[in-house]
Amino acid sequence: MESLRHPRRSPPTDDDEAIARSLAGDLDAYEVLVARYSVLAHRTAAMLGAADEAEDVVQEAFVKAYRNLASFRRDAPFRPWLLRIVANETHNLTRSRGRRDRLAARLTEAVPPVGEAPEEAAVTTDRRARLLDAVRTLPERERETVVCRYLLQLSEAETAQVLGLPVGTVKSRTSRGLARLREEVARDLI
Amino acid sequence: MTSSDDIEARLRDLGEFLDVPSPPPAEVARAVRARLEEPVPEAPAVTGGRGALRRGWGAPRAGGRARRRAVAAAVAILVALFLGATPAGRAAVVEILRFAGVELRIGDPGPLPSWAPRPLPGERRVTLEQAGRQVAFPIAVPAALGEPAEVRVGDGGRVVSLLWPGLRLDEYDGGLLPVYRKELGPPWPQETRVGDAQAQWIPAHHGLTYLPRGGGAAEARPRAAGPTLIWRRGQVGLRLEGPGDIGRALEIARSVR
Repeated sequence: MESLRHPRRSPPTDDDEAIARSLAGDLDAYEVLVARYSVLAHRTAAMLGAADEAEDVVQEAFVKAYRNLASFRRDAPFRPWLLRIVANETHNLTRSRGRRDRLAARLTEAVPPVGEAPEEAAVTTDRRARLLDAVRTLPERERETVVCRYLLQLSEAETAQVLGLPVGTVKSRTSRGLARLREEVARDLI
Repeated sequence: MTSSDDIEARLRDLGEFLDVPSPPPAEVARAVRARLEEPVPEAPAVTGGRGALRRGWGAPRAGGRARRRAVAAAVAILVALFLGATPAGRAAVVEILRFAGVELRIGDPGPLPSWAPRPLPGERRVTLEQAGRQVAFPIAVPAALGEPAEVRVGDGGRVVSLLWPGLRLDEYDGGLLPVYRKELGPPWPQETRVGDAQAQWIPAHHGLTYLPRGGGAAEARPRAAGPTLIWRRGQVGLRLEGPGDIGRALEIARSVR
C-alpha cells in the first residue's frame, strides 16, 4: 500500500549524462551534480544527526562519491546511492565523537496562508513543534526510518538503500515509530 | 482519534517546514572541486575508523593497486586541469538538464539578453474562466497571490500565463518535449521540493526562449528572465518568475490550490 500511495519518483533523466562526464574527469559536470544535490545532502546529514558538522560531512561525502563513481551502477538512481554515502559519513562522525545530535533542524516561521487567522497559524506551528519533539524522542532506529520516509520523503526502497537495511526492516521500524508517535499525539491531544 | 494517514500527512507537512541551514550549493560545489583538484589522489580514509580496518596494507597486490589508482587519478587530475579548468577548454554549455518541460542549458551563457517578454504565438488576454475552457489541464492558482491581475492563453491553449505585478506564473503541458529553454550560468540551480514534487530554483538572471508546439521555429533571441522556480504538478509544468528569493517562491508555490 505504502509504495502505491507514494510511487517512486523517476530520477531526472540527466543525472546519467552528468555522471558519464564526471567519470570522464569533467569536474564542471560534477560541480553541477554537487550543486543539484547539495541541499538534500545537507538536510539528510543534519536530520540523521550530524548537526553543525553537516557541512563537513557533506563535503566529504561528495569527495568520496566522486572517487567511487566507477562503482555506481549506471542503471540505478543516483540519489539514494549518494545519500547512502552521506548517511555512512554521518554515522562515522557520530560514532567517532561518541554522541549523536538528534535531528538538527528548526521550524521555519510559517507565513499564514491567506484567510487563516494569526491565532490559527500559531496553533498550527505549535502542533508542528510538538510533533518534532515527539520525533526527536523516538528510539534511534525508528527515528532514522521515520526521518527518511517522511521528513526527507524517500520511498521505502530508497530508505532501505540509504540506511543499508532490508525493506522489511524499514517497514517494521517505520510502523513501530508511527505507532509510538500516534500514542504521543493522542496523549498530547495535539 | 488519529488515523494513520493523519500522522503520516502531518509528518510530511512537518518536513516541509523544517529548515536546515546549508551553504549556497554553488559554494559547496566549488569547495568539493577544490578538494578534488588537490594533488593528493589516494589518501587513507579521512574520517575515523576505516583506515585502521584496512587489511593487506603493504601487501604487494594492494600496494600495486593503490599505486595504479594513484597514477590514474593523477592523470585524471592533469587532464581536468588542462582541459576542464582553463577558460579556453571550458565548453560554453557544460550541462543540459531537462526538468518539468524546461531545458536548462547550464554553462557560460555569455552576456545576458536584454529583451523584454514577447507574446507567445496567438497569445490573447482572457478571463480565468475563459482560460479554464481553453486549456486541457486544470489551472492552478496560488492562494498566496489571490486573483491574477491578468490571464493570457497562448499557442492554442498550450500555455496559460497568470500575471501579478512583478510576478508571472506560466503553466503548460509539461509532456515529453521541452516548452522552454533557459540558458544560465552560476549561481547554479538548486534542487528543492514543492509538496511531494521535485522543484528547481534558478537564482540567476538568465535567457529564456519559448519553444513552439510542433517544433516550430523558436524565437531567434532569448528574452531576459529573473529568478524562477520550476516544478511539476501532475502532468502540468509550472514556472514562477519574479519572486526575489527561494523562500518567497516556495511559499507561493505551496499555496497553489
